[in-house]
Amino acid sequence: MNIIADLKKVATKSPWLYRINAGSCNGCDVELATTACIPRYDVERLGCQYCGSPRHADIVLITGPLTARVKDAVLRLWEEIPDPKVTVAVGVCPISGGIFRESYAVHAPIDRYLPVDVNVPGCPPRPQAIIEGVAKAIELWREKL
Amino acid sequence: MTNQLALLAAVFVFPGGLFALLFGLALKGADRRVAARLQGRVGPPLAQPFFDLVKLGFKRTMVPATSAGQTLFLGAPLVGVVAMLVAAALVPIAGVYAPQPILGNLLVLLYLLMVPGVVLMVAGSASGSPYGSIGFSREMALMLAYEGPLVLVVAAVALRTGWGMGGTVTFSLSEIVEYQRTHGAFLLDPVMWPAVAAFVFFYPANLGIVPFDIPEAETEVLEGPLLEYSGPALGLFKVMSALKAVVVLGLGLALFFPVAPNGIFGLVFWLVEMLVLMILGVTVVRVSVGRMRIDQAFAFFLKWPLLFAAASLAVVAVVG
Repeated sequence: MNIIADLKKVATKSPWLYRINAGSCNGCDVELATTACIPRYDVERLGCQYCGSPRHADIVLITGPLTARVKDAVLRLWEEIPDPKVTVAVGVCPISGGIFRESYAVHAPIDRYLPVDVNVPGCPPRPQAIIEGVAKAIELWREKL
Repeated sequence: MTNQLALLAAVFVFPGGLFALLFGLALKGADRRVAARLQGRVGPPLAQPFFDLVKLGFKRTMVPATSAGQTLFLGAPLVGVVAMLVAAALVPIAGVYAPQPILGNLLVLLYLLMVPGVVLMVAGSASGSPYGSIGFSREMALMLAYEGPLVLVVAAVALRTGWGMGGTVTFSLSEIVEYQRTHGAFLLDPVMWPAVAAFVFFYPANLGIVPFDIPEAETEVLEGPLLEYSGPALGLFKVMSALKAVVVLGLGLALFFPVAPNGIFGLVFWLVEMLVLMILGVTVVRVSVGRMRIDQAFAFFLKWPLLFAAASLAVVAVVG
């Protein structure tokens, strides 16, 4: 049993990130790209890696207010991610709809449809906040493993 | 009986199996770390590939509804890993390990080296994903392009060794290594330089690193054949690619530079050589160039590497 617990601790050093854009204005997506891609906030040092396929993902970063147009696609995509997974809502849009909250085309808040584990508010959130959100998600993920 | 035990040990413990897997993963870790440093980042820990593998062991394996069936979908990576285990036991380490003739010779190794490519093709088409099919067709085109030069390079080495030893051709890896240890490495032999050049073009394509990672291009086809794999099945692909790195780089060393002291120093020397080869030949290349299109890569391989390989075979045949 002890070995399994140790292995789980090792496993949490390899969180792979997957981004879902649920109708975001791209502000948060730029922030996400910045967080990973520029050397200053290199998240690969935490073992994170952006993956292109939902099947490889451990931590899902969702941006945007879940517009009516992409809602079904996003929900289906989320289903395709193998368990155990942790969902992080990045930006204020998935939390409340942000500046789009009264729009007829928006289904925010996103936690009506998906279990959101970590909220990272901001419009857009700072890279440090996103990294902190990912770190919190890793802690939650360790419990889920 | 002892012979069989030795064979099993060669395939599962050293130099195949456990040793090759650990070393291959360490090479990948070093590659990622150095790549990050070259880009001005901190980079992941050296043991990151191990962490990834453990993590994948805890994830769920999903078989897509569109796949061609569980057996084919999950069996493909298994075949690839087994082929690479045997291939790793076939690669000689100068002064330390010479494969037993019963395992096979250079020709068997050539065939085994094609297996990961075929496995990726099967995996891509069995996954039923359109991205997998694109990866499948690209992998096939790339294999057609790079296998030709490789066969010619191997033929040139076999011919040079065989004639040097007074026979015709020899495909025995241990004889090739022994010949170079007494007559000087092929790397320092101008007659063999075209073959070395062709091999230098071949191995990035076989290892699937950046100028030639077209079948798995993440930004275009989302890792193509690997797109639908998750959990332990994806882990098997990681194991396969780690073993393949050891096999291909080890083959390069055995063919052109099997110079090392005997015993434990020989092993250390070999490990260092492999690391240098990985960093100079893989990491530096992949951070400094962009990805080719499949038509560019195809045309490239049918031009320069094929020319070099054919030239080397001709020169060896003329010079003797």
